[in-house]
Amino acid sequence: MGHEQYLLLMAACVVITLPLEFVVGARVYRSPRRLLIAVLPTFVAFTLWDLAGIVRGHWTYNDRYVTGLRLGVIPVEELVFFLVIPLCGVLTFEAVGKIIRLARTPGRLRFRWPDGLVRDRADGYAETGGGRGA
Amino acid sequence: MPEYSALTLAALAAVVLVEVVWARTGIFGSARYWITMAIVFGFQVLVDGWLTKLTAPIVQYDAAQFSGIRFPWDIPVEDFGFGFAMVTLTLVVWLRARTTEPADDVET
Repeated sequence: MGHEQYLLLMAACVVITLPLEFVVGARVYRSPRRLLIAVLPTFVAFTLWDLAGIVRGHWTYNDRYVTGLRLGVIPVEELVFFLVIPLCGVLTFEAVGKIIRLARTPGRLRFRWPDGLVRDRADGYAETGGGRGA
Repeated sequence: MPEYSALTLAALAAVVLVEVVWARTGIFGSARYWITMAIVFGFQVLVDGWLTKLTAPIVQYDAAQFSGIRFPWDIPVEDFGFGFAMVTLTLVVWLRARTTEPADDVET
């Protein structure tokens, strides 16, 4: 791995969290508008912080492990970072929330597409554990 | 105080203020949030550890601009404040952006 190393690390973060959406059944990718609203302020604020850190010399990037593509002085990898890590955080939060709800719900646990993990209730209805509005 | 350290403390204070003064989601009182942050912390050690390892660093820090404390591995401790503030801000806004009924609050 050379210049793509930082980007590959970000790709790994996306891949490793995919089961949270598609196996556990967090509804994050399926709430694109809410996701955009949640990530945008963080993206802006932390890109500005990154800019300050670069300009003030708090940190630099190793040319060996980044593509060299930059927006101004900010490597594109950093911009990707400020999208991917908040996304992973939301996925984790939703997956934890769903697992807590499932743990409190009776019934046989099974996987059902596209809901993810659900509880089968005795009356034949499936409890998605998706909570209200899911 | 080194600038990165000061900015990290300021960011943590700002995020707490966003929650307490504006968003008021109650996130800091929920087990769900703290479990999430424990998991995020674990994965941050792996990802940030890779980014900052001194044998082949992707990101290089000016020793004069942070506390100088690197733990665990070679991770500048300030990075954990950075990550904590970043994920917390996102989650607070995520909860605020909920479009369903208010009863669907933090929940746990």
